[in-house]
Amino acid sequence: MLSRRAALVFGIADLLTAAAVGLGVFVALPARWWPVDSAAAVLTVLEVAAGAALLSRATWGERAARAASAVALALGLFLVTVLAATASWLSGVYGPVGAGGAIILTLVAVMALPYLVVLPVVELVWLQPPPRAGG
Amino acid sequence: MSARALGRLLVTWVLATAVACVVVHRAFALDVDEAQPREVIASVWREGRVVARAVVTRAGEHAASLDEAASASGATLVYESVVAEGPVVVWPEAALSLSFVPGRDGLSATFAGRTTYVTPDDLLAKQAYDHGITLSSMQITTGLDLPLALAAATEALGVSARDLLEHGVLRRIRVTRTVAGASVPRAITADSLDASEVRRAAVAMGRYLARGVDEDGRFRYLVNAPTNQTLPGYDWPRHAGATYFVAQIAGLTGDADVGFAALRAGALLRDHALLHCGDLRCIGEEDSPVADVGSTALAVLAFVELARTHLDDGYALLVPELTAFLRAQQRADGELMHLYDRRAKRPVDVQLLYYSGEAAFALSRAHGLLGDARDLAAAVRALEHLIGPAWSFFGSQYYWGEEHWTCQAMDDLWDRAPASTRETALEFCLGWQAYGRQLMYGPDDSPLDADGAYGVGPIVTPHLTPVGSRSEAGLATLEAARRAGRPGEELAVLDRQMRRSLAMLLRHQLPGRAYLFVDPTAIDGAMPGSEVDWQLRIDYAQHTGSALVRWLALTPTPTSVSAPGDNK
Repeated sequence: MLSRRAALVFGIADLLTAAAVGLGVFVALPARWWPVDSAAAVLTVLEVAAGAALLSRATWGERAARAASAVALALGLFLVTVLAATASWLSGVYGPVGAGGAIILTLVAVMALPYLVVLPVVELVWLQPPPRAGG
Repeated sequence: MSARALGRLLVTWVLATAVACVVVHRAFALDVDEAQPREVIASVWREGRVVARAVVTRAGEHAASLDEAASASGATLVYESVVAEGPVVVWPEAALSLSFVPGRDGLSATFAGRTTYVTPDDLLAKQAYDHGITLSSMQITTGLDLPLALAAATEALGVSARDLLEHGVLRRIRVTRTVAGASVPRAITADSLDASEVRRAAVAMGRYLARGVDEDGRFRYLVNAPTNQTLPGYDWPRHAGATYFVAQIAGLTGDADVGFAALRAGALLRDHALLHCGDLRCIGEEDSPVADVGSTALAVLAFVELARTHLDDGYALLVPELTAFLRAQQRADGELMHLYDRRAKRPVDVQLLYYSGEAAFALSRAHGLLGDARDLAAAVRALEHLIGPAWSFFGSQYYWGEEHWTCQAMDDLWDRAPASTRETALEFCLGWQAYGRQLMYGPDDSPLDADGAYGVGPIVTPHLTPVGSRSEAGLATLEAARRAGRPGEELAVLDRQMRRSLAMLLRHQLPGRAYLFVDPTAIDGAMPGSEVDWQLRIDYAQHTGSALVRWLALTPTPTSVSAPGDNK
């Protein structure tokens, strides 16, 4: 059973992730594109559900948090891979990307890492179901 | 999933991503071999159009069709050697649009065993670069205009664009150019920049604008350079700014044609844009209920310059009426209310970009001409506001905008402003220039000729006008810093920054590759929007030209001091 403090921390973190993803995609991005919008919508809903369930100590809270973390991690790894490959493509097409371009691409990747890679990994490790008794 | 399994997954992901990045980079990077061009596309250009084309094996090779076309009057034979080629991503469309380096890369299209080329010169003449993708919220337009580029290929191949995209093969080509019978011009650099070159360029910009002033005094406001077509649109602030610059050049050269053009442009402002704003006079549109501070401030600059250069001393009589309007728009804290409601006869307290800086500079120039102490007091209060409360927020020490008039006002007021004000203003302006250096492209930061321009990343072609306007402010800052007795090392850094910017601007002055223009003499001396954007608006030449005039007027000091931090 997850401690009250851990549930509080992960619950708030999940809600913050939902806000970051929702605002980042639906407010900050200048155009709508269904693959990104639908993935962001699914992840936002899952994170809100997980956060709310953890904070309300619902019985299904840990399972919801694990599911949300797994989806977030999958999307995060995919996003960082796509960003890195895009940067490689740009540098292949244009040659030098310059200090400014490198900083922007790195910043975008680094902004995604805490919410979509690091946090889900920590949650997945922390929220592992206890090993079954041997026998 | 156990922690160990998760760790293994992450390590695998890192390795796979690294491999993917290397593979993607190698697949799309070009292997340029200038010594062994794959093919050479020889084109004969006349009045901005290709009149003959053949694919030959080396630059300088003759072909009957080319020789005949090239012998015609006004024809230019150009060899574009394909020194590299590579694949492009055809989906999504945005990726295809971004697959070509502006001005450097062209397109080869193969369909049913036949290949045609759309060369960089073709794309420049059609103005297809940087017209592909528009991000309105960021005011960015980038990428290749695909319909325009593909139309050229499909026309030559006799297929539809859809067929070409679905069943053909598109590749990007990198070319180097050789113009038959022409020597390679010496590249202007920060080190080679000299006064005669700068003067020649500034005068050419002034003459370009002056040639465009019609008998009514109206400029050719916006011109599509390749076709030499005048495009719609007009704007009083830019008209006034261009008048100011043309008057500067008339004063510099004594050229009567340029002087008459400045007078015609000034007369248009005086006779058709001078309005009543309550009891005072302002500049604007007669049928508009609103007048603004920016138009009036720039008209003051123009009128002061017309009088100062003695093109027509009578313009000095108009200046007090206009500065009275500017002073009446000023709040107690020094800020200006930028609009005036002519029906309600009252100022509207809103702030728009540039206007306060323009007003501070205009009031200072007016005081310099006429000596009205009220103008000086208003200019100093506006400057104090601009470098104080107007730019004071969390993070304001790390960020500067594009406003380029404040530092010109600071320099102009240097001998007349209180010592504390000018020192604070100088710190502000030096900080802005230092910030600019961080955003400045170095020679190896971009595939484009961008050393000395401002921007980030390789995708957006740097625009030249911000370089010109920042140089106006930077040179004003340099002059003020010299008068303030700042250390040589500090001056050298700024001097180098300005030289790099001015050299870059001069390298892009038109006509450059004259054969791509219907009428190269018509656009001789003009400044384009960017290396590949050849629409010409009057303020492009004005900002760059005024910066060049400032550079010519700088207090001469040795420039041999090494520039610490000049690592680009």
